[in-house]
Amino acid sequence: MEAYKAKSIDEVIRLLSQFEGKGKVIAGGTDLIIDIRNKKVKPEALIDISSIDELKTIEDLGSFIRIGAAATFTDLVESSLLDENLYGLKKAAREVGSPQIRNRGTIGGNIANGSPAADSVPPLLCLDSTLILRSIKGEREISLRDYYEKGFKIGEDEIISAIQFKKPEGRQILSFAKLGLRKALAISRLSIATLLEIGGDNRIKTIRIASGSLGRHPLREYKVEEFLIGKDFNEEVINEAVLVLKEAMEERLKGRATLPYKQRAVERVFKDAIYGGLERLKVVEA
Amino acid sequence: MKKIGRGIGLSFYGTGYGNGFPDVSKARVRLLEGGKVGIYVGGTEVGQGAKTVLTQIGAETLKMPVEDIVFVHEDTVHMPDAGTAAASRQTYNTGNAIRVACENFRNKLKELAREHLALNSIYGLKVENGKIYLDFFPQKSLSFEELFEKSSKGDIEAEGEFVAQTVMMEEETGQGAPYWPYTFNACGVELEVDTLTGLVEIRKAVFAQDVGRAINPHLVEGQMDGGFAMALGYVLFEDLNLKEGKINNNKFSKYLIPTAMDTLEIEKIIVEDPESTAPYGAKGIGEPTMIPVGPAILNAIYDAIGVRITELPVTPERLVKAIQEHEKEKGEVK
Repeated sequence: MEAYKAKSIDEVIRLLSQFEGKGKVIAGGTDLIIDIRNKKVKPEALIDISSIDELKTIEDLGSFIRIGAAATFTDLVESSLLDENLYGLKKAAREVGSPQIRNRGTIGGNIANGSPAADSVPPLLCLDSTLILRSIKGEREISLRDYYEKGFKIGEDEIISAIQFKKPEGRQILSFAKLGLRKALAISRLSIATLLEIGGDNRIKTIRIASGSLGRHPLREYKVEEFLIGKDFNEEVINEAVLVLKEAMEERLKGRATLPYKQRAVERVFKDAIYGGLERLKVVEA
Repeated sequence: MKKIGRGIGLSFYGTGYGNGFPDVSKARVRLLEGGKVGIYVGGTEVGQGAKTVLTQIGAETLKMPVEDIVFVHEDTVHMPDAGTAAASRQTYNTGNAIRVACENFRNKLKELAREHLALNSIYGLKVENGKIYLDFFPQKSLSFEELFEKSSKGDIEAEGEFVAQTVMMEEETGQGAPYWPYTFNACGVELEVDTLTGLVEIRKAVFAQDVGRAINPHLVEGQMDGGFAMALGYVLFEDLNLKEGKINNNKFSKYLIPTAMDTLEIEKIIVEDPESTAPYGAKGIGEPTMIPVGPAILNAIYDAIGVRITELPVTPERLVKAIQEHEKEKGEVK
């Protein structure tokens, strides 16, 4: 196996093309190295992108934010652009693994690896994020939602160069909560991200909900969103939303041994996300 | 819902192999160049602090600073056997052997001092701070260093042995005295049970150990912290997930142990009731620190939610299952 330390995106996509599917991009390696050791993947070449600055920047583009795919979770945690209404994404990044893993693992890797438990993905789904892909053929964009829900494949000659999303507006607040079996280094048993906005009339003006580990990949919980939108925000409505979510889980995960447990536990995680977000909003607006 | 409960656990635990099994520790002590003293024992340091505590016992017996003790325990060529670093027995058993060896060594030094100082007997001679001197006429004195120089280099040594006293249990009746001495332990915890997720969070813990004598209080506290964390893993996390003889949780991403973030600062209480057969009263402290934590946690869970757990570990999934069964039973009673 050969290893290349690439210095630019152009060099990466040239190498990917040259190795015709037998080259693997490596950033933090927190998943890939394990797969290589377990012989799940046998690349001919590793292309290290961890020192390409243009892949690591977190940029404010006015109404959009663009995060380089090789930005580490620590980079996200330390970015002031993700305070305020984007706090849920920062919280998800902060709860990944351990300091060592956060220092190495990247947001692009979290997406490319395709784990249903990827912590950064539910918040990005709530933000309707777009993946920016590059290859020698050029650049293309796909929505993160389609990547998961429509089974879009990242080409063997392509690299995720960035993730881009529109900043939340007004009183929209992005939140995140997860259930791990211990306080650090725990793979999420389930996670929920929400983007919530309550209007002046106390009605739910914006609601997007995404879950992790409640399906084969992270996904949006449309049925719960449909139930909540326009409703008066109160405890009863939230309790009813939990029932809708449990029903959706029943349909999706029927027969899974873990379903009864997750159906019970999801109430805590969902409410932590919703109410934790509102608590955060108070801090943001203070 | 999140519910708070409190529980205690009490235990007593025997030091050593027990049940009449021959439990022997041996030690050798030798005068070294520069007046230092070497202690040689085949007792392994595995992080528990044996090397520190056993050095302290030697220094105390010879009334000299620990800095002047050369403690060697890694090379079987140079030392007699002190048994295994197991059964919480090194402090008590090997500590006793070292004390006996040091006492024999002291007597030997007095005999040699009597010859070199041309005295009539060893009475009135004291061994302290690296010298042997006459208590009521301290001008009559010989340092360890001088003694070493006068000897044929390295031949001044003594040995000591300790054989623990335990009695085999009668097979028919189960009666007897299988262990001596016992370490007594008590643990109290306050915890929070999340009845939705089954997560248990320890909020406070207090932990008391009767160690006889804390030869090194810092190390005793270290053992208590370590024993508590290890027990926490055993009670709440560590699950081999054995199915038809196959270990399914065969890696640390699945076989969970507590991280530093899952542990907490525990209040530690050292109780000192010296044991007469022990070196300066000290009893074994390794294993006993794990034992009362389990019952304390299980009792606190019962106090919080009224559910008795009878299988370890209490993983969130297992606890939720037990809560659901309990809710069902209560519903049927009504």
